[in-house]
Amino acid sequence: MYQGGKKAGGEEFTVQLVSIDRAFIFLLAALGLFAPILLLAGRTKRARGLAIALIVAANVVGCSVAALCFWRESHSLLDFSRITPFSFVLEIDKLSALFLLLICTVGVPVAIFAVSYFNRHYPEERRNWMWTFFSLFLLSMVVVVTASTGFAFLAGWELMTLLSAGLILMEGDSVERRHNVFIYLLMMHAGAAAVVAGFFLFLPYSHTLDFLAIRTASAGLPAGIRTAIFLLAFMGFGTKAGIIPLHLWLPRAHPIAPSPVSALMSGVMLKTAVYGFVRFAFDFLAGGPSWFGYLVLLAGAVSGLLGVLYAIAEHDLKRLLAYHSVENIGIIYLGLGTSLLFASHQAPLWASLALIAALLHTFNHALFKSLLFLGAGAISNATHTIDLEELGGLQQRMPITGTTFLIGCCSIVGLPLFNGFISEWLTFRSFLAGFVLTNSKAQIVLPLMVGVLALIGGLAAACFVKVFGVAFLGRPRSAEAEHAVEAPVSMRAGMTILAAACLLIGILPGLLLHPLASLGQALFPGAGVPEETLIIARVIPWIAAIILGVVVTTVLLKRTQRMVPTWGCGLPQLTSRMQYTSTVFSKPIRFVFSAVYRPDRKIERLPAGQPYFPTSISYSSVRTTSYEKALYRPFVDLIVSAAHQLRRLQTGNIQVYLLYIFLTLVALLAFLRFQK
Amino acid sequence: MKMAINVLQALILILGAPLARGVIGKLKAWIQRRQGASIWRPYADLAKLFRKEDLVPPSASWVFRCAPIVLLGATIAVAAFVPVVQPSALLASWGDFFLLVYLLALGRFFLSLGALDGGSAFGGMGASREALVSTLAEAPFLLGLVAVSILAAHADIAGMVTWTLHQNFFNVSAVHILAFTSLAMVVLAETGRMPVDNPTTHLELTMIHEGMVLEYSGPSLALIEWASAIKLHALLALLIALFGPWGMASSGSVEAIGLALLLYCTKAAVLMLLLAVIESGVAKLRMYLVPDFLGVASAVSALAVIFTMLVKR
Repeated sequence: MYQGGKKAGGEEFTVQLVSIDRAFIFLLAALGLFAPILLLAGRTKRARGLAIALIVAANVVGCSVAALCFWRESHSLLDFSRITPFSFVLEIDKLSALFLLLICTVGVPVAIFAVSYFNRHYPEERRNWMWTFFSLFLLSMVVVVTASTGFAFLAGWELMTLLSAGLILMEGDSVERRHNVFIYLLMMHAGAAAVVAGFFLFLPYSHTLDFLAIRTASAGLPAGIRTAIFLLAFMGFGTKAGIIPLHLWLPRAHPIAPSPVSALMSGVMLKTAVYGFVRFAFDFLAGGPSWFGYLVLLAGAVSGLLGVLYAIAEHDLKRLLAYHSVENIGIIYLGLGTSLLFASHQAPLWASLALIAALLHTFNHALFKSLLFLGAGAISNATHTIDLEELGGLQQRMPITGTTFLIGCCSIVGLPLFNGFISEWLTFRSFLAGFVLTNSKAQIVLPLMVGVLALIGGLAAACFVKVFGVAFLGRPRSAEAEHAVEAPVSMRAGMTILAAACLLIGILPGLLLHPLASLGQALFPGAGVPEETLIIARVIPWIAAIILGVVVTTVLLKRTQRMVPTWGCGLPQLTSRMQYTSTVFSKPIRFVFSAVYRPDRKIERLPAGQPYFPTSISYSSVRTTSYEKALYRPFVDLIVSAAHQLRRLQTGNIQVYLLYIFLTLVALLAFLRFQK
Repeated sequence: MKMAINVLQALILILGAPLARGVIGKLKAWIQRRQGASIWRPYADLAKLFRKEDLVPPSASWVFRCAPIVLLGATIAVAAFVPVVQPSALLASWGDFFLLVYLLALGRFFLSLGALDGGSAFGGMGASREALVSTLAEAPFLLGLVAVSILAAHADIAGMVTWTLHQNFFNVSAVHILAFTSLAMVVLAETGRMPVDNPTTHLELTMIHEGMVLEYSGPSLALIEWASAIKLHALLALLIALFGPWGMASSGSVEAIGLALLLYCTKAAVLMLLLAVIESGVAKLRMYLVPDFLGVASAVSALAVIFTMLVKR
């Protein structure tokens, strides 16, 4: 990869542009053509190895292309319109570059991790198919974030849904799994329909679906159309992003996918929805009235709070992580809503700050969430379960997995020195800046949002103390956990890369903040560089130095240690059953927030006649989510009853069908006649 | 000179923390008509613990051993944020209160993990209860500080303190009263004092913080005890700096600094007396009444934020 000279000008710059285009073509061709052909035609171990190397190489090249476009003012444009029926153009501008960087940065470690994961979990003949889908899935996401025509975008969008569904189905085949995939596909297509409708509403004004034409036409749109487009984009992309109450598919689809695929779905695929929403709301529509902002803010607050509250009640690790994706999407939407609100009040600097916060959180979430899902994969690989109640004591048995997982936990909770903190801090500061909007409701609403985000952060901290404490610390709670061994080297490598990235951004946030600030300037003309992005980049290394200094000093002090058993209150030995479990740990929080869960509790004591000396007690507590029923049931009933009505048309009689065709023909001819 | 005073301030907060604990203990003893231990006893306790050996459970990993160290590191970083004798501190002009609150969260996160690593029921019990208290305390903590920061139109702690310093004490607004009330309640919860937690208890039905540190001994316990003393001292100093900074040195002269230090000690003594009175006069709340206590704090702090709209700037 030719890096270009220090000065981006003259001949050198052209060379650089040409080589960026070439590298981008290599990325697309490797993921879309070479790797699948090698995998499906080769069918040997060596061909597969080569294909995997190609996938990793393509992602590395993708990283450097994105980095060049993101850090330097380069950009790339590829026009495939001659070989496709519709206009199919890919373009990397600054926003696309950020998301391309995100996809490829996560793509490399996940692919490395998947090498041994796929080897251990799937029979020989299925692995090639897994890798083919994996490669194409990555390609579809690359297309989505780099598309610069509606057709290219929608093609990538649809492929992304279908390929991920395929990957889930390849993991296994059961009625429940099919049902979950059905719900996934159904909701994705409802969302895609909204996105398509959003694009088509532009069409009468822009005449083509080129993003450039859409952008120029959007200034002349009537207010009603603008509102409709915004709402369609909000619903369409919100379904994919999993904002509550459109999240139903998320905790169903993510846990049943293979772990590397969950990592990609949760870490990267959800982010394409954020990309789409930013593209529509900020780039095409360039903001709107202030209620747009309030709507997005409300969606973010509800998703964030309910997402983390549902997560804390889970003890299936992957479902828990899936609910945390809902929570983090909520945090991202809080930033986006704040940005829209500031933009509607003509405060471009603060709008830019809030958008930077949201985009950085998007990037950070991609890193730590895929890290956590890979960790879940490593756990299930070692113990064959992801039920927290069956785990424990894994830190001693799987030190690398445990340490990287801990870094992921600290990042998602948003603790200082880890990457999640930087973006949450910027979000906090953009809320705080709300007080400058005098003579507006936002003056109070935004600062109060600090409380909401603080509650979300506190609950997330409680949840991840539980996750890490119960799964990795203490004593093992089952024989599987007792005999767990460390993950193989490729899995460890994948997780280590992601953990290192989390720490790097957490301690040196300036790396990403400077280019993000110039992206903010591009989207909000007139916005300078927000001071906050400079402050945090300056203060965090000092704090890191203080903490590191204390740690080094204390570790250097000589301490004598002795191993003694934990105090067992006079009992001869503690057993693992005496430890706190995941369910018990979260009990106080579930008790306080019981209005949210509306638990349906059952306690059974056996035998029934002896209430004081039962031989067995069984307890079950199921969360009932009434709003899901209340929201979706009437809608589903409506569709089912409409389908029943329509069934009358389907008589099975061929003469009637011929009549339908004839009537349709007559109707069309009549329509043509009267149109003139 | 300013830098030297900043370092001095951090040292006062860090090294004076055990003394603050000793003074509170003495005041409590007087109120309860006891003789009480010497105010220097916490130092002797720490020295004794540092000389002992560390007892480590067999199930423990490096998290157990590192948790006290990270806790101390994060708490010392917090101490670098808080002004004592002049309206600035080592990191106060860059660092804002969000950083301060989240540094405390960092320490608490690791301490809770360390508690779970012991593999006993008490650690889990303490960590689970601490999770509840700290989850609910975070929102009022930040909102109370947000209210003050909106009035001062500064997010950094130095800016907030400087603004208050230039106000007339008798013009203090309702926002300040509300914010102080909520923050004082939060400080009680955060530092594990009555009525949220009883720092002297060792009964499993009531303990929160003590449950978490039950498995720790020797130097590790010393680090934890020292860190929680620093946390208490730094939060008291923060309350003083935000709500009663008058008397802080504006110049670097020795007299001004000496006077400011004397005033700080007086103000701190008043707060400690208040704490001792509360601790002696109030019974510990039942576990599930703590959310109500913090709910009141949250409501008060939200009111403080809303009232900032009415204050003329």
